Amino acid sequence: VRFIHTADWQLGMKAAHVGGVAPRLREERLAAARRVIGVARDRAAEFILVAGDTFEDNGVERTLIQKAADILGSSPVPVYVIPGNHDPLTPGSVWEHPAWKTMRHVHVLREEKPVEIPGGMLYPCPVKDRQSRKDPTMWIVTGDAGAIRLGLAHGNVEGVPQPEPDHPIARDAAARAGLDYLALGHWHSTATYPAGDGAVRMAYSGTHEATGFGERDSGNVLAVDITGPGASPLVAPVRTGGLAWKVVEKDIREPGDLRRVRADIESQESPGSTLVELRLRGLLAADELREIPRIEEILASRFLFHRLDSSGLRPSPGDASWMAGLPPGTLQTVAARLQELSNPGFAGKRPDGASPEVASRALIELYALITEGSP
Amino acid sequence: MILRSIRASGWRCFADDISVGPFQEGLNVIYAPNATGKSTLFEAMRRGLLDGHRVGGKEVEVIRPWGRALAPAVMVEFSHGGQEYRITKRLLDTPSSKLERKENGRFTSLAEAGKADEMVRAMLSGNPPGRGPSREEHWGLAQVLWAPQGKLAFGRLSDDLLAAVRASLGAQVSGPAANPVERKVEEAYLRIFTPSGRYKTGKDASAVVQLSDRLSAALTEHAQSVTRQRDYEEAARRVEDLRARRMQARRDADEVITTLREARVRADSFQKLTSERNERAARVSEEEARHSELKGRIDGIAAARKEVREATEDLRRIEHDLPLQQSELRDRESETEQAKSALEDVRRERPAIDAARALAEEARQFVDNSKALADLDGLLQKIGTAQEALSRRKGERAELVAPDQKVLNAIRKAVKKRDDAQLRIDASLITLEVVPERSGKLVVLAGEEPGEVELSAGIPKRVTGSPEVVADLPGISRLRASGPAGSVEEYRAERAEADRELKRLTEPFRTSDIESLEALLEKSRALDKRIDATETQIETWLSGCAVDEIRRQRSELQAVRARMLEGHHEWQQKAPDPLALKAAAEDVSTSFKARIDAAEARRDAAQAALLETGRRKDQLNSEAEAIRKVKASLEARLAELTGDGRSDEERAEMLKKTTLAWAAARLKLEESESQLTGFKDNPVDTAARLEKQLQAAEEAADRARDDEKTEEGKIQGLSAQGTYSLLAAAEEKVAALQIEVAGEELRAGAIRLLHDTLEQCRNEAVAAVAGPVEAIATQMFQRIAGGRLGHLKLGDSFEPANVVPEVSGEGVSLASVSGGEQEQIHLATRLALAEVLAREERQMVVLDDVMTFTDAGRMARVMAILEEEAQRLQIVILTCHPERYRGLNGAQFVDLEGLLAASRASDT
Repeated sequence: VRFIHTADWQLGMKAAHVGGVAPRLREERLAAARRVIGVARDRAAEFILVAGDTFEDNGVERTLIQKAADILGSSPVPVYVIPGNHDPLTPGSVWEHPAWKTMRHVHVLREEKPVEIPGGMLYPCPVKDRQSRKDPTMWIVTGDAGAIRLGLAHGNVEGVPQPEPDHPIARDAAARAGLDYLALGHWHSTATYPAGDGAVRMAYSGTHEATGFGERDSGNVLAVDITGPGASPLVAPVRTGGLAWKVVEKDIREPGDLRRVRADIESQESPGSTLVELRLRGLLAADELREIPRIEEILASRFLFHRLDSSGLRPSPGDASWMAGLPPGTLQTVAARLQELSNPGFAGKRPDGASPEVASRALIELYALITEGSP
Repeated sequence: MILRSIRASGWRCFADDISVGPFQEGLNVIYAPNATGKSTLFEAMRRGLLDGHRVGGKEVEVIRPWGRALAPAVMVEFSHGGQEYRITKRLLDTPSSKLERKENGRFTSLAEAGKADEMVRAMLSGNPPGRGPSREEHWGLAQVLWAPQGKLAFGRLSDDLLAAVRASLGAQVSGPAANPVERKVEEAYLRIFTPSGRYKTGKDASAVVQLSDRLSAALTEHAQSVTRQRDYEEAARRVEDLRARRMQARRDADEVITTLREARVRADSFQKLTSERNERAARVSEEEARHSELKGRIDGIAAARKEVREATEDLRRIEHDLPLQQSELRDRESETEQAKSALEDVRRERPAIDAARALAEEARQFVDNSKALADLDGLLQKIGTAQEALSRRKGERAELVAPDQKVLNAIRKAVKKRDDAQLRIDASLITLEVVPERSGKLVVLAGEEPGEVELSAGIPKRVTGSPEVVADLPGISRLRASGPAGSVEEYRAERAEADRELKRLTEPFRTSDIESLEALLEKSRALDKRIDATETQIETWLSGCAVDEIRRQRSELQAVRARMLEGHHEWQQKAPDPLALKAAAEDVSTSFKARIDAAEARRDAAQAALLETGRRKDQLNSEAEAIRKVKASLEARLAELTGDGRSDEERAEMLKKTTLAWAAARLKLEESESQLTGFKDNPVDTAARLEKQLQAAEEAADRARDDEKTEEGKIQGLSAQGTYSLLAAAEEKVAALQIEVAGEELRAGAIRLLHDTLEQCRNEAVAAVAGPVEAIATQMFQRIAGGRLGHLKLGDSFEPANVVPEVSGEGVSLASVSGGEQEQIHLATRLALAEVLAREERQMVVLDDVMTFTDAGRMARVMAILEEEAQRLQIVILTCHPERYRGLNGAQFVDLEGLLAASRASDT
């Protein structure tokens, strides 16, 4: 059989970390879901397995459920869905929405009992509680090996560090249950678990669209081919994510470093679908001050989302350029004093609230006022 | 600011319109006598520039001219920042304010009402007043530049002025290029903070505040979203719980149904057995009743027959005893009659007993009568004797003439009077004492006792007389003794009177001797006492009775005695012995009583025996009657019992059969009860309880279902809201705002730090350069007063603090210098500060009658300085001594009084 394994769509997830583009991110997750159906169609998959957490929460808006049902319902092949720990099968859950009853191909599996699927049997493990210490696959018993046996579960494969066991799944769950493949959901990165013979019979597809900065190998589905019972599955990741999450950290040491950072930013591809976090730290020269607003301007105008953290930049203590543009007298004294305070190693008494970050910013503000109106 | 002109009307003494100006940019001296309105003019200018036009209250109300309802109005023309302005204000009635600016040579309206006030205040003061009148701290630079009358010295300057002074001095330090930047820093700071360093709020709130407010609102919204989400999750949990409860209730109900089914089968079986047991019990009861009835009849027949036999026997015995009882009764009656007769015999002896007792009593009375008679005789004899003695004593007392105590006292008084008169006579007589050496005679020629008196040698001889004593010692001498004429005759008359009184009092007693008279008194008293004692004794014996009464009693006793003796002559010779007679009577009586008692006892015993015999006879009759009735009744009952038409044998046979049937029924009953005992409980009750349990379980299931539906409805409502999506949106909004707030806080903190650092640096610089102000003020003061007082030292707010004389080098307080020098120090300081403040723009200095203590010499030097300062400052001097300022070169003199006169003249 050939099928598509996907999970953790987390539709409706909040994205407080990206501020105003959160609605766009939610839309992107729906778009990626449509791409999953497209992959199934393109690859002539016989069915799709969705291993939980289709929704971020059971309390998502009702229209979103309808949209998700519509997307899944648009699949030309059957779709088998189990609830995950984010959308468990509880009273009032998303799975009680009437849309699911109208989708011919969409099968929301609510019971722990085998389901006949094209080319074999499916052993679903629907999640009914947000938290559980029970291995959801424990109910599956080895049986007739005459058909391909697939498992569909949501939880933590043993070995992943967890403060408390939560929906734990044994590392040998597939072997123990006599499954040809156990499709897993919960972790957002794609991960496979090769058995002793090298065959991958257990895998996390990861989320179909990355959810934040720092996520590794996410934005995929798995295309799985199994030629027959007991055969080694052929598992191939297929890219479905449409967004790029980039974290750029730059240490500014030399004159021209900031200009180089700007050039690097300017050369980024597909900035309209890229979310970038730029972290600058190091020493700031007065004559490069104008680069920071310029970089921010480029980030804001081109990228889907940006976060510029320049709090790690400090005016260079020995940099005389800070004094060069100032009229002689009080203002030079002020600038020199702020420059001192911006040094984290300053040993003197700091006025209230005069952290190095605030002092650096004060110096930058002073420069902004001095250069205000100048070309 | 430069003053161009002032125009006022309805303002204190300026009831009519007064216009002063134009002023020149240098020196101006406005002069007028006291109370003409110089300071009023200054006040009108100040209020026109700084007060809001809507000010009111007593402080403003007094501006109206006395007794007039005029609205104060003022118009001030001035220049500021290179522009010419005109502010026109009307206070109190229909207040108004209008600011105009000269454009193209004519004034054009710039602002009105409050806005006009605000704009002028902003020009002149960094610390404008609120809605009320302006105070000195609101005057801005004018605190230094304007010296009101009598207030040349200034106190601590307002913060805005200090800032202005420092800014002015700081500008010298920073240089002109720094000022725009510093202004920008200040502007940036004031866009975010208030002058006191707080975040700006309200309409012009800083971005931090606005964002914080939005964040606060977003957090509230977020908290509500969290609550909604929790409500949703809780509702889901409750539905789960309710489902579990419903399922459990359903399981409970199913379990009860199973148990109930079994219980019902057992209950049916139990009920059948119970019914059978009840039937068998009824059968046993029937058989028992039948057996009991038959047995009772048989036993009744036997008993009745036995009782009839016994009654017949008893009746026969009683009928046999009855004649014997009759005979005994007759015997008892006879015995009773005999006893009664014996008793009557004894009773007939009673009169003799009574007669003996009467004799004894009469004898006792006789003896008592005799004794009473003897007592009365004795008493009468004693009374007679006492009465004789009393009569005798009364005779003795009547014969005794003795004074009583009162008379005796009168006698004593008369004797004393007589003796006193004699003493006075003796005292009044002239005494001649002759002590003869040898015996002879003395012939008294004049004296009390004229005549010869024998003289014995060595024995003194006294001769008395009045008014003189004349005596001859024959052959020897005639002696004459005389003295002052006295009243011896008066004393003699007193004594004669006393003698007469004494005689009158003592004459009845035939003695005037007091002791004799006292003895007579004592004797009379003793006699009186004895008479009283005798009378008392007689009264005691009589005990209130008269003697005749006692004699009458005696006569009655004697009559009684005579009557007794008529019946008992023998008592004449010998008195009877009442005790012996009484004892004899008692003996006879005792014997009689004993016999009576014995006779009565016998009679009572006979009567009791008679009654007992009669009672027994009656009892036998009664018993016989009762037995006859019982026997008849028994015979009737026997007839009834045997009236069933059966023989005794037939009844015995029937009893046997009945006993067997009863035993058989009991056996069956025991069998049923044994089966029922097999049930440990009452299956019917158990089934009923289970029915109730089932009903309760089903009701619980129904309730759980209802609750579940209710909660499901809530979930539907909450899930329709998309609680999580709302939460996500709220959280995202909060996060975005938090980032913005943090950014703005960082910027605000940076601006504050920049501002504070700049201010600190500037203050440090100003403090470093404040010396020039001191130097200018010192130079001016030394030009006026000479170098003796050395240098001036200014305080933190530029006020003159002390002077440092050159000789000592140590600071001396201003109080130590003269009044004239103090005002010169203040003038020098004001002018020094004014010079600093006027570096960017010419400023007006007002000096309202301030140099009052300065002498002419120093005044001349002051004027020289004023002339110099007039190159940089507009100086307006208000004075009532224009002659003191006549020496000022280039000064414009304004005669205020003349102006007023001209104004009044033009009005008329």
